Amino acid sequence: MSSAGGTLIRQAVKEAKPVFSATSEDARRRVLNLYRAWFRQLPYIIREYDVPLTLPMCRRKLRENFEKYRQVNDIRVIDLLVAKGQMELVETAHMWKQKTHVMDYFKQTVTPKPTDFLGKFFDGKEP
Amino acid sequence: QHAIQRCSQWRCYASASSAGLSQDKITERVMTVIKLFEKISAEKLTIESHFMKELGLDSLDHVELLMAIEDEFGFEIPDQDAEKLNKPSDIIKYLCEKMEVDYK
Repeated sequence: MSSAGGTLIRQAVKEAKPVFSATSEDARRRVLNLYRAWFRQLPYIIREYDVPLTLPMCRRKLRENFEKYRQVNDIRVIDLLVAKGQMELVETAHMWKQKTHVMDYFKQTVTPKPTDFLGKFFDGKEP
Repeated sequence: QHAIQRCSQWRCYASASSAGLSQDKITERVMTVIKLFEKISAEKLTIESHFMKELGLDSLDHVELLMAIEDEFGFEIPDQDAEKLNKPSDIIKYLCEKMEVDYK
């Protein structure tokens, strides 16, 4: 990392400023508390938004959303994910969302690309 | 169809012993709650079985289980204590201390 002008740049040891938690133990606690808060809120969500969902379905979806980020190890990323989850929880709990927003969690947003010949043909792709 | 969990909370204005709480009753209630938890197979479950190592629960399952116990007994278990409760015997000991029941 030396510049062309010849000035000596000491390679600084970069330490990232923590977002919320200082240690991974701290971050782990935040994640588990977020899970707890969502878990406790689920029956009220079902009742207030009148969604056609059952409690086991919601619990499975909650677990799926947490499992999606299981491999993340960077503490700052975990903090940001927890913050976003907390924002979603607050919006859902205060009824600032509508029924469709809650059902969005259960909708697949990416249409899977067709893999077989007929699928690709109907899509207009060259084989 | 999810199992309806047995809810047996009562207010304890008097001391634990006069309210009919004993270590055996606590043990029975804790084991019932754990057995109702569908991710645990009842054959492998003993009082000393470790949740994560022997029964194969992960940390989120552990959280759900402790929440079921909180709901059964009616009070919240703080995080620092919750991390240490890894076996049913730990839970029973912790509850006995919290509810001032003699633990043998």
